[in-house]
Amino acid sequence: MSSNKSERHILAVVFTIAKNTFREAIRDKVLYNLVVFVLLITACAILLGELTDGQEARTIVNIGLNSMLLFGVFISIFTGVGLVSKEIEKRTVFAIFSKPVRRAEFLVGKYLGLCLTLLVNVAVMGAGISLALIYVKGGSLVYSIWGGIFLIYLELAILTAIAILFSSFSSAALSALFTFLVFIIGHMSASLRDLASGIGSKTATVFFDILYYLLPNLAHFSFRTESANGMVPNSAMMGGGALYALVYIIIVLTISVRIFGRKNFK
Amino acid sequence: MQLQRKNMMLTLGVAILGFAAIFFLSSYIENHRVSLPASYEDDDLSFQGKRLKGFALGAEGLLADWYWMQSLQYIGNKVVRDNSDVIDLGDLRSLNPRLLFPLLDNATDLDPKFMAAYSYGATVLPAVDGAQAIKLTEKGIANNPGQWRLYQNLGYIYWQSKDYEKAAEVYETGSHVEGAPIFFRQMIALMKTQGGDRNTARQVYSQTLREAPDQSTKFNAQLRLKELDALDEMDAIEAVLDKARSATGACPQRLSEVIPHLRSVNLPSGKDFSVNAAGDLVDPTGVPYLLDRQNCKAELDPDKTKLPKH
Repeated sequence: MSSNKSERHILAVVFTIAKNTFREAIRDKVLYNLVVFVLLITACAILLGELTDGQEARTIVNIGLNSMLLFGVFISIFTGVGLVSKEIEKRTVFAIFSKPVRRAEFLVGKYLGLCLTLLVNVAVMGAGISLALIYVKGGSLVYSIWGGIFLIYLELAILTAIAILFSSFSSAALSALFTFLVFIIGHMSASLRDLASGIGSKTATVFFDILYYLLPNLAHFSFRTESANGMVPNSAMMGGGALYALVYIIIVLTISVRIFGRKNFK
Repeated sequence: MQLQRKNMMLTLGVAILGFAAIFFLSSYIENHRVSLPASYEDDDLSFQGKRLKGFALGAEGLLADWYWMQSLQYIGNKVVRDNSDVIDLGDLRSLNPRLLFPLLDNATDLDPKFMAAYSYGATVLPAVDGAQAIKLTEKGIANNPGQWRLYQNLGYIYWQSKDYEKAAEVYETGSHVEGAPIFFRQMIALMKTQGGDRNTARQVYSQTLREAPDQSTKFNAQLRLKELDALDEMDAIEAVLDKARSATGACPQRLSEVIPHLRSVNLPSGKDFSVNAAGDLVDPTGVPYLLDRQNCKAELDPDKTKLPKH
């Protein structure tokens, strides 16, 4: 009975922090990027017909999904690294921890709040791409893009967790840099691993093998080119991807909570 | 207050003058840029699609689109800049579009399912380099074996280059792809006809005639079978005319003169020669054959025959 009550309390605290983080993101005008995105997609829908010789639908999907990822990555990184450090700098963290809020609850709440912001962002962008596709009579691609969008969201969720991890022990600038590097290498780790095994160097192979397993393999979530060709990820890819993301996020957040728990704010 | 206004005006002045200077400087540099000789006009591609693959952060499709747009602009610019009055779209080699293949190759390396790029290559590249057109389309087939349109493109390229044997082979393979239209069977036969293998063509057209679900395909197959009959008949007439010329030293005056000799000829179709009410030897559509006395051979009346003209 007491355990149930305690669980409800934890969930309530996490939910409240997540809700406030989402509100804060809105107040910080994070979602203004949607205006830029909508302008971009509208311009594509109007101008691409001439440039692509009738291939505007697939180009809209390519530009739309890649922009969605890029905007999302910047939000994940720059908002993610500031989630905790801003609270520390502004000293609001003391007010929060003077209440019955544990550090883990605070971190997870912050993380979920940013994930909610990203979800809104990604959903609105997805709707924008769908409308642009309907406008250029590429309605057949509307269904196929949502699988790709789901995978993009999982990728952003992982990156956000990594941004929080780095920000739990490093400065904001360095955390942003490290997270961006993880994004780059995470996409290339499989190719680098293949390249290393092709070279035949044992050291390189071992090094890239470690990188491959240690860093998130973000290539698992790349389905943008395929979506532009009307392909839909199968359930194994979606389910496997979701599970992979969940496990990775749990690992990263656990480490973050551990580091954040030992942090001295004085 | 006055100082503030002064500073504001100063800033504004610097900005306006500065941007004006930048505008002129940009134009100046642009106008004085050392221009490359015409032979160096095309920049070689900085990146190769297959090397970029896996290192493009998953944006391969976007890069493929970029290369695709580049290829369209590339040919468009070449055509616009060309000074000649008429551009032969069947032969674009005079434009030296040497980067068209690498651009399309890159686009399809990055996105192997980019059908528009393959189709564009199959349409435009034959006018530049037939071998490159075949290479790109074969790559498309290897990457998309279920796309019958690529077989159609490849068959068409071989057909245009008069390699009927290869074209028939491609249409034959393509006809087994799911969804391939019935005209593939007709194309095999057509290629065999033009390549000289009439027996195979006759078999394929006969099969099409039996199996075609629609009347227009049946009608077309029937017409092609008649065309084959006409080709056989003209060969047989020519042989008889040759014999007559050897015997008399001159080509007969009229085709009707050789009709009695044709009665003993066995045509591959098993049919007999047709003669109309006026006693003229007629083709399978009932139009009299013409006699080309100079070459001593029978030919179709191009104005009246209902047989297809290639």
